[in-house]
Amino acid sequence: MVGGMTSASVARWTSDERIAVARLAGLDQMTTARLRSLLLGRRPGAAVGRVLDGAVEHEPVGRLLRRDPAVAHRWRAQLAERSAARIGAELADLDVRVLGPEDPEWPPPLLVDPDPPPALFVCGRLDTTVRRVAVVGTRNPTAGGLEIAARFGHGLASAGVAVVSGLALGIDGAAHRGALAAAEASLVAVVANGHDRPYPKRHAALWREVTRHGAVVSEWPPGTAPEAHRFPRRNRIIAAMSEAVIVVESRERGGSLLTARDAAERGVEVMAVPGAPGARAAAGTNKLVQDGAALVVDVDDVLTFLQLDHSGAGRLPADPRPAPSGDEMVVLGALRDGPTTVDRLAGRLGLDLGVAAMHLARLERSGWAFEVDGWFEALDEWARLLDSAGVGEQGTPATRGDAASITPERQVNSGVGSVLGAVGAHDVCS
Amino acid sequence: MYARIRSGVLFGARGHGVDVEVHVANGLPAFQIVGLPDTTVRESRDRVRAAIQSTGRKFPDVRVTVNLAPSEPRKSGSGLDVAIAVGVLVADGHIPPEAIAGLGFVGELGLDGSIRPVAGVAPIVGVLDDVDVVVPVGSEREAVVAASGRVRTVSHLVELIDTLGFDAPWPDHPPEHDAATLPSEPDLADVRGQRMPRLALELAAAGGHHLLFVGPPGSGKTMLASRLPGLLPSLERDAALDATMVHSAAGVALPPGGLVVRPPFRCPHHTSSQASIVGGGTHTLRPGEISIASGGVLFLDELPEFAPTVLDTLRQPLEAGVVHVARAAASTTLPARFQLVAAMNPCPCGSRGESPGACSCGADRAQRYVARVSGPLLDRFDLRVNVEPPEVEHIMSAEPGESTAVVAERVATARDLASFRQGCLNAFLPAPLLDDVAPLTTDARRDLRAELELGRLSGRGYHRVRRLARTVADVAGHDGAIGASHVSTALELRRALRPAQSVGRWLAA
Repeated sequence: MVGGMTSASVARWTSDERIAVARLAGLDQMTTARLRSLLLGRRPGAAVGRVLDGAVEHEPVGRLLRRDPAVAHRWRAQLAERSAARIGAELADLDVRVLGPEDPEWPPPLLVDPDPPPALFVCGRLDTTVRRVAVVGTRNPTAGGLEIAARFGHGLASAGVAVVSGLALGIDGAAHRGALAAAEASLVAVVANGHDRPYPKRHAALWREVTRHGAVVSEWPPGTAPEAHRFPRRNRIIAAMSEAVIVVESRERGGSLLTARDAAERGVEVMAVPGAPGARAAAGTNKLVQDGAALVVDVDDVLTFLQLDHSGAGRLPADPRPAPSGDEMVVLGALRDGPTTVDRLAGRLGLDLGVAAMHLARLERSGWAFEVDGWFEALDEWARLLDSAGVGEQGTPATRGDAASITPERQVNSGVGSVLGAVGAHDVCS
Repeated sequence: MYARIRSGVLFGARGHGVDVEVHVANGLPAFQIVGLPDTTVRESRDRVRAAIQSTGRKFPDVRVTVNLAPSEPRKSGSGLDVAIAVGVLVADGHIPPEAIAGLGFVGELGLDGSIRPVAGVAPIVGVLDDVDVVVPVGSEREAVVAASGRVRTVSHLVELIDTLGFDAPWPDHPPEHDAATLPSEPDLADVRGQRMPRLALELAAAGGHHLLFVGPPGSGKTMLASRLPGLLPSLERDAALDATMVHSAAGVALPPGGLVVRPPFRCPHHTSSQASIVGGGTHTLRPGEISIASGGVLFLDELPEFAPTVLDTLRQPLEAGVVHVARAAASTTLPARFQLVAAMNPCPCGSRGESPGACSCGADRAQRYVARVSGPLLDRFDLRVNVEPPEVEHIMSAEPGESTAVVAERVATARDLASFRQGCLNAFLPAPLLDDVAPLTTDARRDLRAELELGRLSGRGYHRVRRLARTVADVAGHDGAIGASHVSTALELRRALRPAQSVGRWLAA
């Protein structure tokens, strides 16, 4: 399938052809397989012509058109509406380029992928010479998980590795923020929607930042909504583009396990950061370790795998936080042993509740501790890599309503033994 | 041929005196009730006729007209049955008119002539202040609390005819068997561990602060909340009388002794209708849960599950201490000085707060769940407390927590201190008084300033924290300036549901 496509379209797409691909990709009910079959063995302009004529016999588009003749009408109408001029202007406005497999920027691993995207919509610069590692995880992490993600992001970026992630809330965002804190960061964000509306909205600034230091990549053209089914599909591209996928925190049925599965299917190294037994935020990653994922606790572990020099990776400037006073130091020491509540801390240190609350509040205000839902966690120097939006997302008001519908988690079939071994069977997206 | 009998009807939580006039005259046999009776009153015709017949007397087969004076307000309820029956018997000559002088009657009739209790005897008897009252045996407790004259009890229409018509002595019904003591309130000693939530309860009791518990299912929120009334001092005479009136009017069983002495604890289910919570219904305007809880605690478990419209109707009574219920035909004012205690899960899956990262809901979903409780209502809670599941060693520990008796004593001392100092509970401290009554130490001022500068505390929140910190200090027996640990405790006890703060904020400086 792959070979056929690449050999048929030998020459690179012209700029008009790139616009034609964008016109086709934005059609109703367009899927990876359908777009791939439309472009198989013909130039994009010819493919548009075929659609306009309604003369597509190829599976699976032909099957769709035979089953539902209305689609052909709708597509014709949409192509008229999605005129070359309009789409061209839209792409130019958003500074989005359409990449095909023949382009030098096309990530080489996608050339041999079993399920490659027919085209990529890219904003920013996609460097094929740089090595790429994905850092993914839950959208609902602990403060400790955010720190680790940021640490990995920063360490990888400092060693010259591009950090690939999904730009989701939580771990994904923290990894990118950490990478951005490095001197010469190179980032790749693979998103599930079009470039016209950054999603999640809370990461709009981060989105822009990533385009400046790398690329935001999508399989779909501007105008595509962040629909639930697109997220697991997006995950395969994250996995395919990377040399290794590091899962930082994931629940038992977390969406990042899908990325891990995609990686395992492609022979991409899966690495997992373990958590305490019983910690629900780490249930998925612990399972990954059980299933044979490489256990990593530090950036060095990853750099060693990549056979990169890791001396001096991730060195940070001096910590600007005021040093805690004597008693606060004791409390901070206790916090470092694990998350705790005022109640528990007071009991453990034999403090008055008020005094315990006072020390914790002061540590929190000065940035040494972080509180969510009554639990305090100590923050090491890496906390600084997470800027306000990254961690504050836990409780800030919802900006849009469709997040609830996007639950790639539910698609993991955890009943099938090994998470990594469970291949096929649950490809609910097709 | 004519008789006039004193009785009364219930309206909201108040009684209204009604004169039942009965006229028996020649004409086609008929039995009419006029004077704006509602259906329940009109139905009493059949009960009265059957009851009189079952005593062996003949119901007059002429024209019987009953007028309920004053005729303007609509009358409701079956409490007029006995008065109507007595009126018919007097007008028909079975009872001499002079026998009913100086008497008022309240009660419902059974078809066999038995006399049954009705709701609202206390407020009705309260307005019949110029007569001795005759009430059903089961209502004696309520009547005694409110009556200014003597209270006679009857169990059957025959007894009444014997007493009034044949000068028999009033029947002597033994008072209902009272348990020697009040039913025991749950004890705080049952709560193991949970020092913060326990402190919150103590502060709520001592300062009159509204309290919200946020925590995963099974963390003991309901158990904690049900122990608040035990910490509150008993009601003073006036408040107890008011509470008794409302309880009686709402048909809620009164405690032994009749007077509602202990602060009520009401926990309506989250499917409760607006009328059942704030009061109302049609023209009877029955007191709602907020009125029944007046003087005590209204506990709303699963707060976000209540209809938002129901919750928002609580805001005005919370401020005013009364609720004015109006319908097209009538309106009334009911007491609503309740302390609001609520409990909720932190998110739909409920596990948020069990441990960091335990929740699988996602921030947006949890946020939408919490947002079902409106900001203005949340703002009324001075205490917003995270409740974590108790630690295993605490659950297994044989050592009981501090008992209600011990804590209640500290609460009483703190309340006395507050009322001696400023004449009100700390929750109601006017803001201008705060600098006099709740001065801050330099340390405490610095901590509060830091919170304000971080934008985590609004101006209003600042005052609330100071009031709460005053209570924290009072409970600790500290009457002087408020220290940093008191302020920190107050801040900590308002922390639940606050949006998580950024760790990077201080970087901007």
